[in-house]
Amino acid sequence: MRLRRSLHFIEPLVAAFLIAALATGCTAVQNPALEAARESYQKARRDPLIVRNAGATLDKAAQTLQTADRIWTEEGDVAEVEHLSYIVEKRIEIARVIAQRRLAADEIQQPPSSR
Amino acid sequence: MTRALYCSFLLVLTLYCVGCSNTCFWCGEKPPTNRVTQAELAIRAAVDAKAADFAPVELQSARDKLAQARRMMTAEKYTEARRFAESAQVDAEFAEAKAETAVMRRAADQILRRGDAPPTEAERESRKPLASQPEMK
Repeated sequence: MRLRRSLHFIEPLVAAFLIAALATGCTAVQNPALEAARESYQKARRDPLIVRNAGATLDKAAQTLQTADRIWTEEGDVAEVEHLSYIVEKRIEIARVIAQRRLAADEIQQPPSSR
Repeated sequence: MTRALYCSFLLVLTLYCVGCSNTCFWCGEKPPTNRVTQAELAIRAAVDAKAADFAPVELQSARDKLAQARRMMTAEKYTEARRFAESAQVDAEFAEAKAETAVMRRAADQILRRGDAPPTEAERESRKPLASQPEMK
């Protein structure tokens, strides 16, 4: 009987803990893959060579990052967010490679005497 | 008692729908046929850009993921199929970009290696962008 009475105190505590765990699980927790992708994107945005020569590809990466952000906030779908983060990282790598290509193309366009 | 059973049945059904949305028949994804086609086209473009020579690892990764996407399509796991197809596409685009850059870099290095010798008139003409060339009559 005494045990039963003490359980009455525990029940609301358990409920409160579960609600708190759910709430923090849905909003506050960050996804490591998404944060890494965001960091890569911000680093690329600070690179003038990439911004100047591969802006369109960088914009595509930004769109995918926004989608990943939305899915993480609204649905908390870990697998989908990790997948989209991978796409963001790859698009940034593509942007970096395109920027390097434009640099090489510029070298070809300029006659050696002007370098 | 019947009501409790009914409620628990509803709860289990909802959890099933939320937990395995790709297998649930009314809230699952459609077959990502278009995505798979786009991945195939991207791989073809990468091969045309000599990715087999300049970005073999990335090209192989794209091919492996496309094969996985097809397997998932057969297994009717459409969410996984879409993800594999999208990854294959982006890997192929990376392979293509990397190969094109390697080709361009090689050309630029060859010109640099040729030293400080001034380019001939024909070389200078060939380096001009096509749009700026005078119209041929």
